[in-house]
Amino acid sequence: MKETPLSNCERDFVLLAVREKKRLDGRQTYDYRKVRIAFGTEYGCCVVELGKTRVLAQVSCELVSPKPSRPSEGVLFFNLELSPMASPGFEQGRQSEMAIEMNRLLERCLRSSRSVDTESLCVISGEKVWQVRTDIHALNHDGNIMDAAVIAANAALAHFRRPDVTVQGEEVTLYSVEDRDPVPLTIHHMPLTTTFAFFHEGSRLLVDPTRLEERVMEGRLLVAMNKHRELCALQASGGIRLLQDQVLRCSHVASVKVLELTEIIQRALENDVQARKEGRCCGLAESLPVQRVTVACAHDAVVNNEEARRRADEVVKCAEEPADTEGAVYHRGPHTAQVGEGLVNSWVVDDNEPKSEEEQEEAMDDGDLEGVKVENEEVEELSDDSVVILETQHRAPNVVQLSDGSEEDEVIILSGKDLMNVSSDWSRVPLSVPPC
Amino acid sequence: MAGVELLSDQGYRVDGRRASELRRVQCRLGVLGQADGSALLQLGNTRALAVVSGPHEIRGSKSKALHDRAVVNCQYSMATFSTAERKRRPHGDRKSIEMSLHLRQTFETAILTQLFPRSQIDIFVQILKSDGGNYCVCVNAATMALVDAGIPLQDYVCACSVGFVDETPLVDVCYAEEAAGGPVMAVALLPRSEQVAFLSLDSRLHEDHLSGVMKAATVACRDLHAVLSRIVKETLQEATAGE
Amino acid sequence: MASTGHGTYTDDEHLVASVAGVVERVNRLICVRPLNTRYNGEIGDVVIGRITEVQQKRWKVDTESRLDSVLLLSSVNLPGGELRRRSAEDELAMRDYLKEGDLISAEVQSIFSDGALSLHTRSLRYGKLGQGVLVKVSPSLILRSKTHFHHLASGASIILGNNGLVWLQPANSAVEAGGFVTDLEPVPISEREVISRLRNCVIILAHHRLALSDTSVTYCYEASMAHEIKDITKPEISEEILLETRQRLLEQRG
Repeated sequence: MKETPLSNCERDFVLLAVREKKRLDGRQTYDYRKVRIAFGTEYGCCVVELGKTRVLAQVSCELVSPKPSRPSEGVLFFNLELSPMASPGFEQGRQSEMAIEMNRLLERCLRSSRSVDTESLCVISGEKVWQVRTDIHALNHDGNIMDAAVIAANAALAHFRRPDVTVQGEEVTLYSVEDRDPVPLTIHHMPLTTTFAFFHEGSRLLVDPTRLEERVMEGRLLVAMNKHRELCALQASGGIRLLQDQVLRCSHVASVKVLELTEIIQRALENDVQARKEGRCCGLAESLPVQRVTVACAHDAVVNNEEARRRADEVVKCAEEPADTEGAVYHRGPHTAQVGEGLVNSWVVDDNEPKSEEEQEEAMDDGDLEGVKVENEEVEELSDDSVVILETQHRAPNVVQLSDGSEEDEVIILSGKDLMNVSSDWSRVPLSVPPC
Repeated sequence: MAGVELLSDQGYRVDGRRASELRRVQCRLGVLGQADGSALLQLGNTRALAVVSGPHEIRGSKSKALHDRAVVNCQYSMATFSTAERKRRPHGDRKSIEMSLHLRQTFETAILTQLFPRSQIDIFVQILKSDGGNYCVCVNAATMALVDAGIPLQDYVCACSVGFVDETPLVDVCYAEEAAGGPVMAVALLPRSEQVAFLSLDSRLHEDHLSGVMKAATVACRDLHAVLSRIVKETLQEATAGE
Repeated sequence: MASTGHGTYTDDEHLVASVAGVVERVNRLICVRPLNTRYNGEIGDVVIGRITEVQQKRWKVDTESRLDSVLLLSSVNLPGGELRRRSAEDELAMRDYLKEGDLISAEVQSIFSDGALSLHTRSLRYGKLGQGVLVKVSPSLILRSKTHFHHLASGASIILGNNGLVWLQPANSAVEAGGFVTDLEPVPISEREVISRLRNCVIILAHHRLALSDTSVTYCYEASMAHEIKDITKPEISEEILLETRQRLLEQRG
């Protein structure tokens, strides 16, 4: 399936945001998204999350005969799989150009820089060596899979333990995990990549682009470095023209970022060791963040609303009684009625001035609001499940008297249950009380 | 690699060059009649043949066509007899595909593709003899073939690889120096504006040395540019002599 | 301040050449013409093309240009007069008029925004090409002139297509290219020899980057008469022929 093309407004929006040095997720130019590293129950299994991008790395090993050109070195193999699971844009089966480029980058970054000691993987020179295979699967693609994959590969390799072997003469003994503790690989250093995305003809750059930013960017620069500030791979590609200073600046930024990332990986590894020592449960399932409701039924709980009620009462008591306390309701036509004559308009300074039409209306509105207040008060009394009677404010007449001539000339007594619906069902009360 | 001294105390390299010395450049334009442009370029013992055809109508699926610019299609291959050990597949392996991709990315920036909407430009490069710096020789050969084809370019694209031994950048590394496993940086430069069209680095290099290596690469690319443009001018003068 | 023509671009107010070639300036317009390039069509050019595709109401023609050219059904003269309406039957019978692989001569009518050419054959001079020889040379060698159809004294006619395709055919071919029928009468051996000689002349002229015109081809043809047809393309003989041709061309000019 082809990836859905980006709409032009989206593209312009992202580009404008970049120009204004803003990012859609609120990060700064040189910020990484949140990195989370989790290890599986097995050795050499690791899931890395970089924001919403998620990759899984699994290291495995087997005994093979070495390459004739390097008889005393173990074999390292890396494979990055971009399946449609991560993004429908990735094709099933055949490796795309992008996948091949990323695979080569992984190899160049981890193998050519000799991050893993291959000579210690030799069992019998020229006959048996360990082949260490790192499979990395992209699980979710939200940009910058490369950095996530490299973090995962490094963490998984550092986490991995291979079975112990001994050689006596020609005889090779392979010990199972139960017999002897498996041994870790010798890791010389951890090359970690930092991806820079370039926009606006190379004049703007961002670290760790999201998928949206990746789709808009003009090109990228990938800097792989270890914590000793040694560059392990460098690649500028994708149709941008850079100046020398830009490359130098990027490598400088990368050196800082790599220190941070190395720290995170080390801490994750230590935590995992600690957890295993203490026998705490570890593994991917445990590490998944719980983001769901874990209780199926609701429990009754006593809520103290005494205070709220008291204050509500106070407000009501303090409130000045309106001049016209007669809760008369006038019918003004079909489906239209009026409660009272309204309050005295305090907005008008000169009382002698004749009220304009507008003011009268305003006053009328106030009167209506009064009605609403009353209703709300009743709803408040819902808690005691007694029968409540709809009252007007001064509470004297317990019955709402509708003016004669109304089509629905009746007294309404609402039970508490009915009142549940009052707020949503004003029409049942034939008053022109607009739900405000 | 142990035993091999890449830079002698006197400052000479395995093949007798100085640290900042390029290998000999030889180039001929228009070596093939059928193609729109072609060039044979030799840098020391590495020799590449580049063939350019286009801009022409899109071949294959029409859906590849871009409405605002030309599609650049690159294919890199290594002749089976180009290396000491006979190659089984001339192209189609991971390294070749990566190289094709890098060549494409390099030339997409350099060719003024926006002048040819909906069309396609093909660049085929074949390494005939390999002695280090394959990418760079390919880029230089392809540039010359594009010039021969009369395709508008932003500038020449000159590429050079630089190694780093004993605190000294070695310009234009040969196979022996490449195979030693030290850091090798390949840079493709647009010499007029000194913009980097492509950059890649393998193996470990301390960040402090980066600027030194890049500077050496820039100088080497400008030297190459001088040589290439001289060759183009000579070819042009020869061709227009009759007019 | 010079303005940018073909083969140049501006970069920070500097005019930079984007191709390697000859600088040409017309007043303030500066162009750089590369020696070798794909055909760049202009309205009114005579081109020779090959039908590559028959589509609805149009043919696609390969003219060695950057994109395939288009020959609309409405831009051809159908049998039965100028003012004939194009009916649905004509659309169905398009392949009977011109089918894939046919060579045609045509004129550039207009240029689309993406650079593709629209051709027409609305003159008796244009149309399907029958028996003859096609030679491919660089388009830059064919200069635009009043006419590109020439009857040479040697008894053959030549069409110098602006797109670098040169068509040689017997002069007395019954119909002047024109319609859609081609004369398939066997050409006598003498005429074939003339055409072969002309072909070799065109090839050596192009190889030495001499501009092609009826004069240069005629002079070259006459200079080659001292040699066998098959020897013309041999380097030492071609040098000799060209030397003579060049001299005669200079005399004519000077």
